Amino acid sequence: MTQPILSLRGISKHFGGVRALTDVSLDLVPGQVTALVGDNGAGKSTLVKVMSGVHRPDTGQYLFEGREMHVTGPAAVAQMGVQTVYQDLALCDNLDAVQNLFLGREMTGPWWTGFRVSRAAAERRAREVLKRLRLESISLSRNVGAMSGGQRQNIAIARSILWEPKVVLLDEPTAALSHSAAAQVGDLVRELAAHGLAVLVISHDIHHFVLDNTDRIEVLRLGRNAASFASGTVTGEQVVNAMVGGNESINRAG
Amino acid sequence: MALTDTTPAPLPRRSLSERLGNELRFVPVAVGLVALIAFFATQSDVFLTSRNLNNLLVQSTVTGIIALGLVFVLLTGEIDLSVAATSGIAAVLMAKLVVDVGLPIPLAIAAGVACGGLIGAASARWITLIGVPSFVVTLGVGLVLNGIQLLLLPSTGRYNLLNSGVEKLASTNVTGAPAWALVLGAIALFALLRLSTHRSRIAAGLPASATTGIVLPVAIVGALLVGMLLFLQTLRGLPMPVILFLGLLGAMSYIASETRFGTYLYAIGNNAEAARRAGIKVDRIKIAAFAIAGALAAFGGILSASRILGVSVSSGGGVGGGALLLEAIAAAVIGGVSLFGGRGMVVGALFGALIIATVSNGLNLMGVANEARLIVTGLLLVIAVSIDRAIEKLAVPGG
Repeated sequence: MTQPILSLRGISKHFGGVRALTDVSLDLVPGQVTALVGDNGAGKSTLVKVMSGVHRPDTGQYLFEGREMHVTGPAAVAQMGVQTVYQDLALCDNLDAVQNLFLGREMTGPWWTGFRVSRAAAERRAREVLKRLRLESISLSRNVGAMSGGQRQNIAIARSILWEPKVVLLDEPTAALSHSAAAQVGDLVRELAAHGLAVLVISHDIHHFVLDNTDRIEVLRLGRNAASFASGTVTGEQVVNAMVGGNESINRAG
Repeated sequence: MALTDTTPAPLPRRSLSERLGNELRFVPVAVGLVALIAFFATQSDVFLTSRNLNNLLVQSTVTGIIALGLVFVLLTGEIDLSVAATSGIAAVLMAKLVVDVGLPIPLAIAAGVACGGLIGAASARWITLIGVPSFVVTLGVGLVLNGIQLLLLPSTGRYNLLNSGVEKLASTNVTGAPAWALVLGAIALFALLRLSTHRSRIAAGLPASATTGIVLPVAIVGALLVGMLLFLQTLRGLPMPVILFLGLLGAMSYIASETRFGTYLYAIGNNAEAARRAGIKVDRIKIAAFAIAGALAAFGGILSASRILGVSVSSGGGVGGGALLLEAIAAAVIGGVSLFGGRGMVVGALFGALIIATVSNGLNLMGVANEARLIVTGLLLVIAVSIDRAIEKLAVPGG
């Protein structure tokens, strides 16, 4: 098996008296899509925020490319090559796809042009990236506010990989999407892994999205590692059982 | 890949309503302006004379320049209710420096403009630091400035600027070869800009149309500018206030639509949190926008003082900003700039100011009383915003 690029070892985190994470470990491997599943309050979002540098763990190791990192914040993590796409997508609805992709990182002309934005260069780069991700159907000149939920999600993901990260963390990318839009996002997620990225996806949609599009499934329960599966070897029921604990209830999540 | 058949087909062209909601946003206002001009032309023989249109254009410049700066603030989703008061205090400061201190006029004007910029920047620093809504802070700042304005004025309540040299700013007319050089230079600059965009698209292997990208816009802008020049040449040539307003309009349009700063204004106005996460220094951009609004308001006030040959308690629209403040906001909003941020074009300030000046001028010529003028302007504001909203709904279903 390929070496993991990002590993968490024995991570614990508490907020006041609440233990959000206890001794959690996780490996993200290049070329693989890992699903992070769990019931509400299982600690999924906290774990993603630890990985993205928003939260600092109380104890535990953060290993990147085999070296232990002392993560100082989100900017340092992004610099390392770990990008996070949050649920709210952080898109500007009044700007088009190209402007959103490059927001805050515009290519500009010399000072005497008043740092004129190099629209053509950005548009060419955007075309390349969208083509590589098989997202050619996205219009570059429409405002993203006029686009479907799936297209907006895909633009947010495309933006995260624009500067060649090694790891992408996706927080609930399918939460507000129809099945067909979620399937488009699933295609994109596998496309990212096919390009050698390590991808982590939080999802509640076990039966469709997770089983169809991920390689590994990591289950959190009450802030601890509850189970770990290879996606091809389990049924949705087994995953859900691990999420809720034991066999007492079969909860058809998603 | 099982569901790729549900992927929507690429959209080669965007619908007209979508384009009207974006880069063609000014078209309905422009159509409205033409309709108003046509209406008044049928109502008064004097309306279309070069003397009257000269007056109309000059009348629109002060409101227009103040509205121009206000657009930058509105784009970020904030508002500056102190622009009129800023214009007043800057004009009084300039007059005081000329009359009492004897400072050279260019220096006095620069001091007034700088003072306006500082007022805007200071208000914005306060707004971003404390997190108080901008309309409250700038309302208070406006009243404070009104008070200071009274303190700066001499006991006569007025500085006379007749024969001070300041009046030349508004009364100069450029005619003949220099006027042609200005107009043709402006057209050449605009054409060069469109050409460079076109060529960089070709170089990047992107679709580009010379017709809609260069020929059409340059022809329209060129025809308007040359037409205006030919018309005004029959009288006294290009009035300096009009040159200054159009020059500022061009510069501000470039900043808003072509630069990084301009993009950030729109981004912040739509989703400040997204802008912040993209690494944009939201507070700094807002401070810059308010500083621009303050500086332009100050310049508008100085131009107004130059036109009316003095400053007084009523400079800057009087206490609270009065009609000047309301007309500046109305000009921006009639021109299609959203009060909620993120939508609108800089050129809207021109159309808005022209519509307000046209209504005022046209109704005057028709002998309609002032009350009716206010009512008509108010109704136009409501109608313009309603049309704008309707177009936006068409462009973004459910938006």
